[in-house]
Amino acid sequence: MVILNFTLSEEGVSVFHDALACMYKFSDDVCLEARKDKLTLTTLNISKSAYVCFTFAANRFFSRYHFEGNAQYRDRFFCQLYIRSLLSIFRSRQGSDSVRDKDASIERCDVAIDDGPGKKSRLVARVSCRNGITASHSLPFESKPPIHAKFDKDEAANCWSISSNTLRQLMDHFGPGIELLDINTDDEDRVVNFTCFTDKVQKRGPHGNEAVLKKPLHTNISVEMAEFDDVEVQDKLHIIISVKDFRAILQHAQITSGKLATYYSEPGRPMKLSYSADGILCEFILMTVGEQDAITQKHKNTRARASKTPKPGPGPSPASKPEGSVASNQAQEAPKPVQSPPQQKISPRPRQTQFEIRPPPVPPRAPVTARSDRSDSPLFVEQGDEDEQWEPVDREDDDEFAKEVG
Amino acid sequence: MRFKTELKNIRTFSRLVAALNTLEKIAWVRLDDDTVRFTVIPDTGSQVWASFSVDTIFDSYHIQSAEASNTINLELPLGPLQRALKSALNSNHASLRLTKRDGIPMLSMTIHTMTKDAPSRRGNNPKTTDPMDRNDDYDDADNDPFSETNNSLYPQESLELTHKREREKVITQDIPVRVLHPDTVETIMQPKVREPDVHILLPPLVQLKGISDRFTKLAITTASASSSSSSSARKEALNPKLEISANMHGSLRLRLVADTLDITSVWDGCLENPELDPAQLTVPIEEHPSTKYREAGPEKWATVRVDGKDWSRVLSVGRLEGSRVIACFTHEHALILYVYVRRADDDDFPGVGAGRDGDGEDVVTYYVTGYSP
Repeated sequence: MVILNFTLSEEGVSVFHDALACMYKFSDDVCLEARKDKLTLTTLNISKSAYVCFTFAANRFFSRYHFEGNAQYRDRFFCQLYIRSLLSIFRSRQGSDSVRDKDASIERCDVAIDDGPGKKSRLVARVSCRNGITASHSLPFESKPPIHAKFDKDEAANCWSISSNTLRQLMDHFGPGIELLDINTDDEDRVVNFTCFTDKVQKRGPHGNEAVLKKPLHTNISVEMAEFDDVEVQDKLHIIISVKDFRAILQHAQITSGKLATYYSEPGRPMKLSYSADGILCEFILMTVGEQDAITQKHKNTRARASKTPKPGPGPSPASKPEGSVASNQAQEAPKPVQSPPQQKISPRPRQTQFEIRPPPVPPRAPVTARSDRSDSPLFVEQGDEDEQWEPVDREDDDEFAKEVG
Repeated sequence: MRFKTELKNIRTFSRLVAALNTLEKIAWVRLDDDTVRFTVIPDTGSQVWASFSVDTIFDSYHIQSAEASNTINLELPLGPLQRALKSALNSNHASLRLTKRDGIPMLSMTIHTMTKDAPSRRGNNPKTTDPMDRNDDYDDADNDPFSETNNSLYPQESLELTHKREREKVITQDIPVRVLHPDTVETIMQPKVREPDVHILLPPLVQLKGISDRFTKLAITTASASSSSSSSARKEALNPKLEISANMHGSLRLRLVADTLDITSVWDGCLENPELDPAQLTVPIEEHPSTKYREAGPEKWATVRVDGKDWSRVLSVGRLEGSRVIACFTHEHALILYVYVRRADDDDFPGVGAGRDGDGEDVVTYYVTGYSP
């Protein structure tokens, strides 16, 4: 029996695609969750420091949307899919203006999920193109309940919002090689500062002096508070997040020219960013870097469990604390790793998850080696060869060369 | 030690840095009262000595140093500088000063700029939505040496009154630098080369680069296709050499010889051999090698072999638009390019004097690495 089916318009397909493309920057798979009134896509990155949630309104986003629960899935249906395979289905084939390409553009896409006892669990997407070709894709999925990060808005006393477009353009000023973004305010000057930097220790080069020149650009952008809406931030509060995550978010935020709103409390606690477009709500919860100075232990962690996820990285770290699979709804705070500067080279990742994650515990996932550049890599540990970022654009590389020539 | 200046002609500055950055990551910068000089000396490949009058790229320039003749010598990474200058393009105002942060010397660029109102959503940059490209950390529109510097970043927009008024943002880009002691730079000398046999005004670099790159690419493709040959020969084939020749009768010849190929492209007699200024010569004009070459007729060529990839990087200087490039050939010995940069505010364009850097001119000098036949 068909549990879920919906139709995406041409525009819908591309919005759907962009949402998935954004999620793909955080994780390999996505959880799809369907209810009567909405479809939700969520994902959590491998280090569990970033959570993404897109909600599509059933009546506004889709040309047609129908959910019918069965015995197994009464109120909601959920499954987990590979983002990569979804992306290739929804990839827009327009691109250029030529007549031929226009013909091949997607007119609409019908998606159906048929599941139940004795059925093969498949998501079937039928893509209809303008040129009359209809392509049907059948994807297997894993029946796995979604993991949601919780965010306590009452706790987040700091907030601001600004045109997402303005913010995105500002990001263009940040150079390569940086990892961390420090957002801080200065009440005297009435500005919000966005500072990008890296803490990576550069060890390459024959002597220390030359290493100095390998430091990436240190960028600070001051934006007058008057340009923000609803700024409510504690003076001189520094909140630090991963640049990579922030970039991924802003790149997607282009879908709206409206506001991007943020809420946060203090270092080491999650930060929420959200924006919405027609029929779609985009929410991100990022774990902020715990600041040494800002270590406070408000709550004792009562329901600590052993870490569920094997941690990459050397040795026992002082941060072997719960990976937050806690069923309780109470806001809880794990003990913060105490970092002293001399130990920083082997210091724990400051961005360990402290999300409350409900309900099922996540099975351990092997770290994906191909993605060691993700935010899940230890932030303060030396990262090996950084040389590439310094390569001039058309250096040796033959591919580059060929591209340039052709 | 002080250095503080406003920036002007940022586009020119930025393109110069981009051109240098294709050859080497780190440059030596020498500042004094009148000139700013950029020098890059790669381990292998061509070296560049660029000398600009301070007025060309700086304004309200202040320099103060205890060193002889008020000079400051810096070593700086070109990548970050290029990136910082990119931020400064289209800015309202930008300045540069030498400072320290956490005890480390920095060149700090302060940029006052605006953002533009919402670009229309689609069609602007389809690249950004390519999901398979995970490493789109920063855009690479600068990859093409001749691309317009990323204009798509700031598409034109219609006036929208409902938006909150845009305010000026202040961006600070700190570039790490090393201050060099005069002793360490004393030994670095500009190469000395004997009087050239042939000097010629090169055709537009976009043309020359296009053809050169095609040759190089062709040689690489051919080499990759042929399965035989030893590894050293193969390595050699993957770094093809181009033969560049010129005569004193306005011709330039580009030739590629490979195992199975021999192709030549000629600009036949259509180029200019600028007049030499006798006042700048060490020998009487009649005895100058170029005079002999001229008298020997159009079949008398001065030839230099260069590495195709290195040559391509050299030619990326073509991004400095409107420049005149004079090539000086010393037969089977040396090739020097003098790139006379056009100042944005200068109609009276220099560029004569056949490869002599005259006073107050902005010239980028390339000492192209040559290979024996």
